[in-house]
Amino acid sequence: MITTRRIVFVFLIALSLASCMKIEYGKQEDFSVSGGGLFITNEGNFQYGNATLSYYNPESKEVQNEVFFRSNGMKLGDVAQSMTMYDGKGWVVVNNSHVIFAIDPETFKEVGRIVNLTSPRYIHFVSPEKAYVTQLWDNRIFIVNPKTFEITGHIQIPDMTMESGSTEQMVQYGKYVFCNCWSYQNRILKIDSTTDEVVDELIVGIQPTSLALDKYSKLWTLTDGGYEGSPYGYEAPSLYCIDAESFTVEKQFRFKLGDSPVEIQLNGTRDTLYWIKGDIWKMGVNANRIPVRPFIESRGTIYYGLTTDPVNNDVYIADAIDYQQQGKIYRYNSSGVLVDEFYVGVTPGAFCWKRDE
Amino acid sequence: MKKLLNIILISALITASIQNAHSQSLTSKTHQLREVTVIADRPMKEIGVQKTTFDSLALKENIALSMADILTFRSSVFVKSYGRATLSTVAFRGTSPSHTQVTWNGMKINNPMLGMTDFSMIPSYFIDNASLFHGTSSVNETGGGLGGLVKLGTQPDVAKGFNAQYVQGIGSFNTFDEFARATYGDKHWHISTRAVYSSSPNDYKYTNHDKKINIYDDDNNIIGQYSPKERNRSGSFKDLHILQEVYYNNLKGDRFGLNAWFLNSDRELPTLTTDYGDERKFENRQRETTFRSVASWDHTGENWKTGVKGGYVHTWMAYDYKREITSGNWATMTRSRSKINTFYGQMDGEYNPSEHWFFSSSISAHQHFVRSEDKNIILQNGDKAIIGYDKGRIELSGSASVKWQPIKRFGMSVVIRQEMCGTKWAPIIPAFFMDGVISPKGNIMLKASVSRNYRFPTLNDLYFLPGGNPDLKNEKGYTYDCGISFDTGKSDAFTIGGSATWFDSYIDNWIIWLPTPKGFFSPRNVKEVHAYGIEVKSDLSLKFAKEWLLEMDGSYSWTPSINEGEKISPADRSVGKQLPYVPRHSASVNGRVSWRSWAFQYKWTFYSKRYTMSSNDNTLTGKLPVYYMNNISIEKGLSLKVANIQLKLAVNNLFNEDYVSVLSRPMPGTNFEFFIGITPKF
Repeated sequence: MITTRRIVFVFLIALSLASCMKIEYGKQEDFSVSGGGLFITNEGNFQYGNATLSYYNPESKEVQNEVFFRSNGMKLGDVAQSMTMYDGKGWVVVNNSHVIFAIDPETFKEVGRIVNLTSPRYIHFVSPEKAYVTQLWDNRIFIVNPKTFEITGHIQIPDMTMESGSTEQMVQYGKYVFCNCWSYQNRILKIDSTTDEVVDELIVGIQPTSLALDKYSKLWTLTDGGYEGSPYGYEAPSLYCIDAESFTVEKQFRFKLGDSPVEIQLNGTRDTLYWIKGDIWKMGVNANRIPVRPFIESRGTIYYGLTTDPVNNDVYIADAIDYQQQGKIYRYNSSGVLVDEFYVGVTPGAFCWKRDE
Repeated sequence: MKKLLNIILISALITASIQNAHSQSLTSKTHQLREVTVIADRPMKEIGVQKTTFDSLALKENIALSMADILTFRSSVFVKSYGRATLSTVAFRGTSPSHTQVTWNGMKINNPMLGMTDFSMIPSYFIDNASLFHGTSSVNETGGGLGGLVKLGTQPDVAKGFNAQYVQGIGSFNTFDEFARATYGDKHWHISTRAVYSSSPNDYKYTNHDKKINIYDDDNNIIGQYSPKERNRSGSFKDLHILQEVYYNNLKGDRFGLNAWFLNSDRELPTLTTDYGDERKFENRQRETTFRSVASWDHTGENWKTGVKGGYVHTWMAYDYKREITSGNWATMTRSRSKINTFYGQMDGEYNPSEHWFFSSSISAHQHFVRSEDKNIILQNGDKAIIGYDKGRIELSGSASVKWQPIKRFGMSVVIRQEMCGTKWAPIIPAFFMDGVISPKGNIMLKASVSRNYRFPTLNDLYFLPGGNPDLKNEKGYTYDCGISFDTGKSDAFTIGGSATWFDSYIDNWIIWLPTPKGFFSPRNVKEVHAYGIEVKSDLSLKFAKEWLLEMDGSYSWTPSINEGEKISPADRSVGKQLPYVPRHSASVNGRVSWRSWAFQYKWTFYSKRYTMSSNDNTLTGKLPVYYMNNISIEKGLSLKVANIQLKLAVNNLFNEDYVSVLSRPMPGTNFEFFIGITPKF
């Protein structure tokens, strides 16, 4: 019986020791990148807090993943939506973490943060002391001061409730900032950046997804047409060309019902449009019809993000694969020849160019 | 060293892990061993069945525990918990939570919209009988259990006369748990009423390693950073459960029963560790009211049994996500509402014409009516509308089985099941079982089974707006398993039992929700999964000294669950990899030492590294580390003139581990709860 007791005692002691979990937290790495480069924001999976930031050097073709985490010893957050360069800082908008991080684009270290946003999507800089932040599930565009990282006010969007609130991408023409309203919306807003008020709006098709301003001061937006069964409506998507000065639709190119065009982008000289519609499509801004054939065909890929190199017009396409693994970036030259390919983080959705300064 | 000990422990578990613990009431001064199952006398219903049964001591460990807690520490299934008193799902053998069917007193309680069951909403004190039917074995009871079945039920019999019990729990984070039960029993009537109320702000402290707080100088330059000590934000809960049961036995072979279970839950949804919002300005709340009821009639003849059941379930669920616009002025960002009404009917029959043959059949129907309202929008013309769906669906399931035991030591069983959902019939689900006693000494037995199985898409899979996909195919699977078990002991000295099972299953057309270019998620049939592995269970009861009793039980599972589908694109690196969030190894051990009216219990559980990506990338955010958890409790029973008193102190997360079960979901450090139970002597 004594032996049995000993066995029991030893077993319980072993059990108690079989416990401590070795988790390494907060390790930080030093980075120092120079020259031009490309940031890729990887959304991660909603509600899992696994968004990441990747950095790619187009010259050396080297990629570094999870650079925010590795540099700062903390996570980027939940759903990294977009990134914008301004004033020598990279501004990373992390949607479901209610935060925008400002980072040093050479060391990737945080230099500041704007917190307490509702559901931020994009940031647009009006001046060194003023930027606009668009939101999902909010009928306000937040006004922030990039110097102090503080929310200083908001722009109330007319005829929009919080529950179906959606303001998205912004471009600026003169003193006016234009913004597309996407989720269960159908309009482009015109905001006077001196008074911070919506001064006009233009009805387009259902759910304009993205917005760009070409060299001729024409706004371009793609609508996705909604979805079958939506009480808001379901229609053939369109590509719209809008004159920024008169704020009227100049051209409308219709797609087929059920198509899903997204991600309107311009090249560096802002005279050629690119977008995703299963394949990658390319069209001059002066064209009067949509090309018959795509620029780059899908190879079973799920294209999720798109950008062009502002210097050499190389095209970068993000493939989300199954949205549960590291996505892949394909780099093509302006003739559509594959130049490079590399893996980044989960659900790569947006790009941001760091210019060689 | 600790790692080595872990390895030794896990290895030891493979050969010596354990299943059921059985013990006596603490107020009893005697400690008896459980009875050894003499398998030559095993029920014919269980020929070849791989089953894990939980005894009442396991289920009634303390009133703060949910079935998720019980399964975490006492079985080999994988419990994915999003935090304390938050969603907890259960998956068998590398499958998904929706592949786990759950019944309560015979009625399926899987949410027909989501397919899965939240086990954190099932207080273990409300369950008297709980069994796991692994893989193929679930076909005996229901269809759709590609992983298995969790069968929950209540016990009709109560003690004679009036009896009552009250338990009060007071724990860390201002947690209060109350349980009360009153019963009355005579030769005809068995009546039981029980209620549980649990509440807590649930604002436990933890070090948030996913975040850093900046220290700024006067010019807004960051001059320092640190990982903050934070509280679990927005995690409060208030859960009320009431269960009323009435049984009438006419002593002529008929028993009539009525079970009614009401639950009301009001829970905040905790914020992620990566959330920088001010929790005072956001509200993220989930509420549920559910009423489940089953009326039954069972008749037992000399060599036959029949039963009829009817049931009704009403569930109302609400999810609100709000933001404070100005002080005291809250605006709704999301307002989801759903109502489910389910009507249920079932007939069973069993016929046992001789000791060699056993026939049974069953037919059941579940008629669901679901109204789901997910979002309020303003239409293009300015009118208001709600995004959602309003659908009904009937689910029929019928089965017939023949069991044959030509000799005591050998048995075979065939089950044929047919299911219909809406207007679609699934192909016939066949299952075949056999077992044989190799040696009566030690009751060593071999078991084997094989089955085909199907699972219909859920109502959300088909109709959710946006994204529902009415063209989804059924998931289909094949499962094979075989195993060996033994059970032996020496009267009044020890009992020891164990089993090892190998299983192999294939699931095609696995349904997964994936994002679409339009920004919403939509389900697709994508993966072909091969899940296989080994489950080991064993138990030991040992009277090692006078008035001392040691009971141990444990389990170990090795569950590779591999994506063997086609590549989605040339870049896809998920083929041949373990499914995300499915651990390859999991284990649990329970040890309990009793001496007179004292008892000490140790619980340990382990999950191996889980990948968060389908490609199993070993990145910083691509994995969750190995997970060990240790809980202890000590209890003392007192027998007074007027009442029996039970005192218990439970310590959870004994070593104050920083850990997460799911990415960005913090779990509590060491926490305590003290319980006092009073059982008056009328």
